[in-house]
Amino acid sequence: MLVASLGAISQSKFISKNAYISFYSSTPLEDILGESNEAVTILNAETGEIAFQALMTTFHFKRALMEEHFNENYMESTKFPKAKFNGKIDGYNSSILSGPVNDIKVTGILSVHGVDKTITISAKLGLEDGKLVGLSNFKVIPENYGIKIPSLVRDKIGKEMEITVKANYLPFGN
Amino acid sequence: MKNLQLLFIGIFLLLFAGNTFSQDLDALLDAETKPTIDFTTATFKSTRIINGHSVEQMKKNQLEFRISHRFGTLNNGPYGLFGLDQSVIHFSLEYGLKDWLMVGAGRGSLNKTYDAFAKVRLLRQSSGMKFMPVSLSYFTSIELKSIKFPDRPAGTSNYFSSRLAYVSQLLIARKFTQNLSIQLTPTYIHRNLVKTELDQNGIFALGTGARYKLSKRLSINAEYFYTYNPNSKSLEPRPYNALSLGVDIETGGHVFQIMLTNSQGMREGSFIPQTTGSWLDGDIHLGFNISRVFAFNKK
Repeated sequence: MLVASLGAISQSKFISKNAYISFYSSTPLEDILGESNEAVTILNAETGEIAFQALMTTFHFKRALMEEHFNENYMESTKFPKAKFNGKIDGYNSSILSGPVNDIKVTGILSVHGVDKTITISAKLGLEDGKLVGLSNFKVIPENYGIKIPSLVRDKIGKEMEITVKANYLPFGN
Repeated sequence: MKNLQLLFIGIFLLLFAGNTFSQDLDALLDAETKPTIDFTTATFKSTRIINGHSVEQMKKNQLEFRISHRFGTLNNGPYGLFGLDQSVIHFSLEYGLKDWLMVGAGRGSLNKTYDAFAKVRLLRQSSGMKFMPVSLSYFTSIELKSIKFPDRPAGTSNYFSSRLAYVSQLLIARKFTQNLSIQLTPTYIHRNLVKTELDQNGIFALGTGARYKLSKRLSINAEYFYTYNPNSKSLEPRPYNALSLGVDIETGGHVFQIMLTNSQGMREGSFIPQTTGSWLDGDIHLGFNISRVFAFNKK
């Protein structure tokens, strides 16, 4: 166990190429849920830096029309194909990577729809069944990212979106 | 592919070796993101440009209920409330069996016509890993006029097959910019029975359609069907090419299409060979299409 943990720490970077990201909003009319299993993320074990990228077109919805509107009307995916997050774990100490899943805070820049915002989010990071996992759940307000929701559909789309992130990290680079 | 990825990773490792603190994780991720084929979506807002089909499909397990109206002609004047006193209706159910295959069936009050169609997507416009300049679909339908035959001279008879017409179309479209899409629609229509000897059983036509988005939820559309071997101009009423102008308004799960058109028919077998209105004479019908989409995905 100790050897395995040491082995994990000695890796300087961890990657996940099929991280899960979803956004969810519940309204009186219908729930909106978009999910991607194709986000990529890297964690630098030496510095505690963490980065995410997701192509907007990898998000899928139950209603095809919703997906089309998501890309065409809201995210403008042709103009802004990717959402990104670049941040650093607050008070980082590499020992948290070899411990059980623990609460952490990550501060960084979330860029969505061409707008960059510095945010701090709560997350969890640590070993689960010997594998490094990262989880997070936070809220964003689309209008802060220049995503306009017309009054006509205002009651169909929540003011806040709940973002869920799940990543299973693997050692990177060998 | 694999090699290219390895090469990229190799380059990055070389670039950043021994300089672990300034490594740009973002750049690493850029290298790790798989190159994708970027399929063009939403070439048109609806499965119809105005009267005719667009390259858009109902996606798998999505059901669309469409209701369309065409009123009488504007030149009815105020006495007929510019045509609003009369109306022709068409309604249909249309379903995506696969993302690339949709089928539908409907009924129109003009000649009490039943119709069924299938539309298959053959090519999708794309960029990125794979370049494809246009989207291409094949559309085919069958129409059955169920209106009672006029009385015939004694000793002659009517056949069921006389009620049928068949339509084949290629839909070739390109989304030139986010706002501008243009479609060409070569069409062949065969009608088993036509009114007079001067009418053509087989009609060749070329449809052109375009949409321009004024805002994210509003577009203007135009559509014109040029008939190569039109029915004889000496017929009464005289046949014209179909010209339609419209706007699409999108609100959540609905698309409203409002149009002005010289055709009262809403299916290919009627509006292409049998448009009898003339724009110049004011035979212009106000009309609309409304659709509601229901999703049947198990999830």
